[in-house]
Amino acid sequence: MFAKNLTKIYYGKTVVDSVNFEIPKGKVLSLIGPNGAGKSTVMGMISRLVASDAGLVDFEGTAIHKWKSRDLSKRLAILTQTNNIQMKLTVRELVSFGRFPYSGSHLTAKDIEIIDQAIGYMELTQMQEQFIDELSGGQRQRAYIAMVIAQDTEYVLLDEPTNNLDIYHATNMMKTVRRMCDELGKTIILVLHEINYAAFYSDYICAFVGGRIAKFGTVKEVMTKENLSEIYGVNFEIQEVEGKPLSIYY
Amino acid sequence: MICKNLEMTAMTIEERSIANVGTFFMIYLISPWGRLLDLSKNYSSTIVLLISAIALSVLSIFIGVINLTPADLLAGNFDQMEILVISRLPRLLAILCTGIGMSVAGLIMQQLCMNKFVSPTTGATISSAQFGILLALLFMPSSTIWSRAIFAAICAILGTWIFVWFVQRIQFKDVIMVPLVGIMFGNVIGGVSGYLAYQYEMTQAVSSWLVGSFSTILQGRYEFVYLVVPLVIIAFIFANHFNIVGMGKDFSQNLGINYNFVLFMGLSIAAMITASVVVVVGSISYIGLIVPNIVAMFKGDKIRGTLADTALSGALFVLTCDLIARVVIAPYELPIELIVGILGSLIFVAILAYRLNHGRKAIGRRSAEGIVQ
Amino acid sequence: MLKGKELALPAKHRNRQYAIETKKKNSIGKLLSIAALVVLAVILYMTLNVRVDNPKLFWYSMSIRTPKVIAMLLVAFCIGGASVVFQSVINNTVVTPCLLGMNSLYTLIHTTAVFFFGAGSLAARNTNVAFAVDLALMGTIATFIYSFMFKKTKYNVLYVLLIGTVLSSFFSSTQATMTRIMDPNEYDTLLATLVASFSNINTEIIVFAVVVAALVIFVLRKDLALLNVITLGKEQAINLGVDYDRAIKRLLLGVVLFIAIATAMVGPISFLGLIIANLSRQLLRTYRHGYLIAGSALIGMVLLVGGQLIVEHVFVYSVPISVFITVGGGLYFLYLLLTQKRRL
Repeated sequence: MFAKNLTKIYYGKTVVDSVNFEIPKGKVLSLIGPNGAGKSTVMGMISRLVASDAGLVDFEGTAIHKWKSRDLSKRLAILTQTNNIQMKLTVRELVSFGRFPYSGSHLTAKDIEIIDQAIGYMELTQMQEQFIDELSGGQRQRAYIAMVIAQDTEYVLLDEPTNNLDIYHATNMMKTVRRMCDELGKTIILVLHEINYAAFYSDYICAFVGGRIAKFGTVKEVMTKENLSEIYGVNFEIQEVEGKPLSIYY
Repeated sequence: MICKNLEMTAMTIEERSIANVGTFFMIYLISPWGRLLDLSKNYSSTIVLLISAIALSVLSIFIGVINLTPADLLAGNFDQMEILVISRLPRLLAILCTGIGMSVAGLIMQQLCMNKFVSPTTGATISSAQFGILLALLFMPSSTIWSRAIFAAICAILGTWIFVWFVQRIQFKDVIMVPLVGIMFGNVIGGVSGYLAYQYEMTQAVSSWLVGSFSTILQGRYEFVYLVVPLVIIAFIFANHFNIVGMGKDFSQNLGINYNFVLFMGLSIAAMITASVVVVVGSISYIGLIVPNIVAMFKGDKIRGTLADTALSGALFVLTCDLIARVVIAPYELPIELIVGILGSLIFVAILAYRLNHGRKAIGRRSAEGIVQ
Repeated sequence: MLKGKELALPAKHRNRQYAIETKKKNSIGKLLSIAALVVLAVILYMTLNVRVDNPKLFWYSMSIRTPKVIAMLLVAFCIGGASVVFQSVINNTVVTPCLLGMNSLYTLIHTTAVFFFGAGSLAARNTNVAFAVDLALMGTIATFIYSFMFKKTKYNVLYVLLIGTVLSSFFSSTQATMTRIMDPNEYDTLLATLVASFSNINTEIIVFAVVVAALVIFVLRKDLALLNVITLGKEQAINLGVDYDRAIKRLLLGVVLFIAIATAMVGPISFLGLIIANLSRQLLRTYRHGYLIAGSALIGMVLLVGGQLIVEHVFVYSVPISVFITVGGGLYFLYLLLTQKRRL
């Protein structure tokens, strides 16, 4: 999966400016950058939620907008930040929606098995009959991730999955992301604000500034004092923890 | 909350800081020269609007079934003077009051609710006023225009309060939900009045309050509409208060303003303006919705700076519509509501389309944008 | 497929399946009891005060009551189904399809007919012709306008609605202008058709309406199956492979046609949809639209038939049923607004 000259213009303002990159398969890639750098818009374009104004997103040899939406939903899943449901929906029912691309509304025995596994994987078995709107933020986020797991796609795109979560839940969320990549072999793309999560839990980092890619490389390559100072415009120090470069900014 | 935030983002940083009265006064105290400069620059649009309004007013006086000429008037022709005093002048004044009043009422409501789609039409004010008139007709068949007006004003105020109370209590995902709820609220009230009118066989009589028209304006039957004038003056005095209250409860308390009092007072003024127009002229939709929006597109959201322009533009709009209504099928005339309805809905759809395509600059930011960073 | 932890135990698994089954049975049980209420209401309506001793009178009252009851059931089905679909498409439970402006379009069409052709004209006098004209005009005008607006607003459904309300207020002001310059006698005959009533329905109209409704359902059967997913929100729906824009456009046009059928049959009934769709949601507490639609339609039938029963026998026709619906619906709307804790 790669993007070529990807461009998005909102009301005359170029938000993403002919961006080129290739997504490394089977790895965790984090998109970082200051507010308004265009990372979420890029995420929207590579997941076909947002139409690009120029350039192209190639997914397995075919432009993303040429894919049949139903087929694409078996290969690529996206979880955005805005998830508010009016319906009275239990955790299990939500996770079951992950099987919709395969079986529509009639679940097969195999679907039920996968749903069970996804619920177990996110440790939601105890609360699977609870309603979504009665859960805490962290639990709800886990339920959505379980749905994405049930969707059983090679590519998983998560837009700020740690947003609104406390340190405990956010860290656990990142550990889950890591596990999904290592154990389930998924390619995961994240938009993250917390750069140390990106540094600790991902393989590659893509840093955006002003709608362009400022740096793209392995964690070690991107996470340097100079790079980060340039991207964010504040002072950085890098310290090594468990062999990973973590940053302190001030 | 959400809907407020969205509207806040619509204002640019500069506008927001200007809205902060503190800074506002500081700037003006420090630079008296800059103020003079501002005057000539800021008020050029107001002057242009004023001149066009005066020109159209003069035109409006001399158009009609009976030929009226300036020369005859100056010569002291008694018949002509009589027409002027009994028919033409009252009509002109009613038009001006309607235009100014409805657009100012709309502006106040939009400022207080921080929502560009709230107006006497979409905020249940007009339907409540009609309901009040109906009640007056039912319970006091011999009622004068004054008692009808009091009924209308009370109902309009109550209806607006209730609507805004609901709107403030609920968090809306999208700004457009607010007018939709308002329209449904108006439908409820309209449904009840419709039934009452049907039950007491007054539907056709009541329909004269459903359709605004200036054709029945004669001396002695319209003076109530003058109430608009003091109300607009009060609105002008408290303009800054409305602006601050619109920024939210915490914001206004921080600046030492009694939020609830100013909110309810502002809404009551808007409702009373609407009621006095509806009693005399009938309901006229859209003015309160589109005029403030168009002015804000050019001049920003600061109520003090836009109030005069909004009032004048409202007068101009109604004058134009009235001229069209009188000329199209002369010697007969169309109800003004029809012309305002056609022009108003076209303009409103155009505003919506513009807002949809240009987002920021127009009225508020398009909210259901999906992923935009 | 999924490696990693596999927590699902066979026994637990069976329990869970059982839980889902009981939930389903619960919903079906509730639906069946409402259906029983419908049957009861219909039987009461058909038999109350019927002269059994005189076969002539008996058949006469049957011939009057049967089409009325069928019309009520059909209208309840149309409005109930359309309202649930409409709310799910808009993703908001306090809206009703009366925002689509079909009521004012209906009123405008009738006023125009009387205004230009007079109260004695064919279109105003013959109920069959009036129904066909209403349905055709409302269907084509609304479909045309709404498709056009969907395209122009880039499928922003709230903008479509807002423009719809603008148009409907435009229709109303045109209509009101006409009534002002109308002959009072003609106005009286017009007024009778502008108040919702179930009395002038005949068999042909019913057959025709059923055929149209069935056709709409048949064309939309695939889109209706997407409703459960559509309520997850636009982004989730697209993620799960739904062609969102196309689906909501088709569904909304279906809603327009259903409301057009109901309105053309009995006249403007606002707020019925709001009441029954929300009652159905509260009662069934499920996301499955099959159940929700069935529940909404059945509750609508109970309300309409029961309401008509009360209107005819308690109030002796002094208050039309639409009044109860408007007043009750209005109060219910305020209640909904007050109790709505989540964001709208």
